[in-house]
This record gives sequence, C-alpha cells and structure tokens, in this order.
Amino acid sequence: MSADRPDTRSAREAHAREAVAGLERPRADAAFRERLKRDFVSGRVGEGRSIVLEAARHKSPAWRLAFAVAAAALVGVGVMSMNRGGSWTVLATTGDGVAIVEGQPVPLAHHEALDQKIQPGMRITVPEGGEMELTTAAGLVVQVTAGTEFVLPTVPGRWFGRRATGAVRRGEIRLTTGPAFHGAELQIDTPEAVVVVTGTTLAVICEPAGTCVCVHDGAVKVGPRGGAMEDVTAGRRRYVFNDGRPPETAEIRPTEVHPLGTFRDRRKSLLERSGR
Amino acid sequence: MAPPSVSDKGAPSESLDLEAVRRREPEALAALFERHFDRVYGFIYRLVGDRAQAEDLTQEVFLKVHRAAHTIDPARDPGPWLMTIAHNVCRDLWRSSAWKLRRRSTSLDGDSPLAATLPSGTRDPERQVLAAERERLVQQALLELPEPLRVAIVMHDYLGLGHDEIAAATGIAHAAARKRYSRALAALAKRLEGVLG
Repeated sequence: MSADRPDTRSAREAHAREAVAGLERPRADAAFRERLKRDFVSGRVGEGRSIVLEAARHKSPAWRLAFAVAAAALVGVGVMSMNRGGSWTVLATTGDGVAIVEGQPVPLAHHEALDQKIQPGMRITVPEGGEMELTTAAGLVVQVTAGTEFVLPTVPGRWFGRRATGAVRRGEIRLTTGPAFHGAELQIDTPEAVVVVTGTTLAVICEPAGTCVCVHDGAVKVGPRGGAMEDVTAGRRRYVFNDGRPPETAEIRPTEVHPLGTFRDRRKSLLERSGR
Repeated sequence: MAPPSVSDKGAPSESLDLEAVRRREPEALAALFERHFDRVYGFIYRLVGDRAQAEDLTQEVFLKVHRAAHTIDPARDPGPWLMTIAHNVCRDLWRSSAWKLRRRSTSLDGDSPLAATLPSGTRDPERQVLAAERERLVQQALLELPEPLRVAIVMHDYLGLGHDEIAAATGIAHAAARKRYSRALAALAKRLEGVLG
C-alpha cells in the first residue's frame, strides 16, 4: 500500500478511514453462496440470472438517455399516481422485539412508526419471538413470522400493472387474498424458488434445505428459479430443494393446516370488506 | 480484459492451480471460488449497499470469470483481476438506465447489515443496535459519495489496496488514483463529521 502522508491527514479524515476499515465483512446468504459455487464449478453460472446489467451494454448518448428518462418520468408520474393500488398497513404485531425495516430498527410495539416506515420493496426482518401482520387495499394480508426476512411486495395497480413481486429470504410468511385481489398476480421469490399467487391462502417457508410452499385453499404455481412451474392445489405442498434435486409434491404439512386455517378465518371478513 | 500485474494482499494464490482453472477443472474452480468469493461479495456489497443487488453482481462477476477463465495468466495472482471485473460490473450497473431510474425513485439507504449483525436473543441488544446504527451511517455516507470516490475509499480503506493497485483495477494513472482518494476521504470525512460522535 502506498504511503498516505498521515501527518497531512486531519483527525476527522483519520476517523473516517477508521470507520470504513472497521465496517463489518458482510456474510452472503449461505444458500446463495452454495448455489453460486455449484453453478460456477459446473459452468451453469448465469442461467436464469437477472438481466439488469444487459441494459448497460446498449449504450446510447447520455443526453438521449436523460431525455428518455425525463419524458418517461413525466408521463409515468401522472398515470402511475392514478393507478397506484395503495400502500401497506400494519394490522397487528405480537412480541416486543425490534424489527428491522430497510436497515433501521423499529420496535414492534410502535405501530405508528412501523406504518409510516414500511413501503413496498422494503426489506423487513421480524425478530425472534415477534410476528407482524400487514395488509393492503389490494386484497392481501401477509403474516410475517418470527425470524423472517421479507421483502414487502409491490402493490398491484388498480387497472394495470396488476402483477406484483416480493421475496422471502429466510423464515416463513403466510398469505391470504380477498376479492379485491381478483385478476392480480403476486410473485414471491425465495433463494431457490418462485411462487406465483393468483388468489389463495398459503405458507412460504424458507429452510436451510430449500423452500416449502403449503397451500390451504386455491391453487399456486411453484417452481425452481428458471425451472418449470407446477400447480399446487389445496391441501398439498411442494418442496423446492436448493441442491439441485427435483422438487417434490406431497400432502400439506400437518403443522401448517391449523395456523393457515385460523389465519384465513380471522382475516376473511376484513378482506371481504376491502373494496377497491 | 488483461489481468493486472499487481498482487491481491487479501488472497494469496500459492496453492491455486491456475493451469487447472484455465482448463475449467471443477476442483480448481471450486478452490478459486472459495478463495475469492467473500472478498468479491464484500467489495460489491460496500459499493452498492444492497444485498440482493450485491448477489446479482457477484453472480455476474463469477459468470465473467468462468467465461474468461482460459485467459488467466498462471504466473499472476488472479485476485486483482477479479477485483477489476467486480469494479467493472458495478460501473456497468451504475451506467445502466435501470440503476439511474432506481436512484430517482428510491432512497440510497440500501439495506444495512443491521439485520445480519443483530443476532436474536443477544444479551446486549442496545449495544448491538448502536453498533449496527453506526455501521449503517458509515455505509450511508459511502453511498452518498459519487461512485468513483466511493470506489477509491472502499478499495483503499476497506480492502486495503494501495494506490498503484487501485490505479490498475480502475484503469487510471497512479497520480490520479492518489488524488481521487484524497478527494474521496475529504468528502467522506465531511459527511461523517458530527454523525458518528
């Protein structure tokens, strides 16, 4: 490393250097690391990957890009604001731990603070011993259980953009839909699976070995990332492994039958009231 | 992309069979991955401040490494080459319209490592929260820096690279790398002043 002339660095610069040098070494998600290693070694790396970088390869002059962005933003802002399907609201929480919302700690007991903080696309981590239920006027209730890391889905639009996406990184969510959700589609991504919901009650469970999707009522499409999707009907489950084994379909986990049924019954009337 | 000639202090390569990597032999690729994954992921995470994004970009890096494995010079440490690819992948992202749109529509707070560093059932949750909050503030200050300055700071102070190595990885002259780092440090210090106490 080159010399940095420490005598010329101010105390606050030295402080800044220490702060950066002292940053944690982030740990990648173990399942992601293993999957990437497996794909890298086998030469399958990149199959089904995000194409966000592809846009950069088709370079155009900066002014053209800026103009296009500005024009799209102008038109988009007006239309999108009318189409917006509302935001998420905290229905209930249990436990007295601290949730992490987009990296910031918010006590579970502070409903108002949580309500103000949460927005679609934000990453929420529910502490051990806690639980959170969220709803939106688009006809969805999500129960985020203890120890779950969850990316709050976008909310389906009123007339178009009826397809929303969210993610579960670890832990378990239970989800139920109401009449207002009719015609919409919610995709839940997990480290190894894709779950497509069009109207149902289900649980998405991310475990060390893979993802288990238990369906209480309705039907859900479930498949490995980049793989074939399969319908999973009421009373069934599908397990997508993270080690390359083919997915398995079986009866719903007995431990999920009661929690899903109770959750559905408890939130049914709320969902039926939530019109658009 | 020619592998630069500088060494990567964080990842000695004595035991890596780079000839086998060139032939894409599974064991050699696995060893290369194990040697460099954490460093590549950590570097990218600090540059983009978002775990999902860091995962996508890390995957992109290893895709490029796999495609270009046959070009690795067995006489040189591949570490700097990987960091060059990682930097280029981030730079491509920052130039993409998707990223610029995202910057317009979202905060650059990113996801701090708070969730990852706040263990459940900790004996001193308040201290953990404070430490994580400090971490978040530093990361946020980094993300507020213009990207070239952020790269300079992260490479120098987080990865511990020298100016010559940073110059090689970013394709600029040594003097320019030094100057850029000085500007970056001054800008970061200004942002952190009064924030960290």
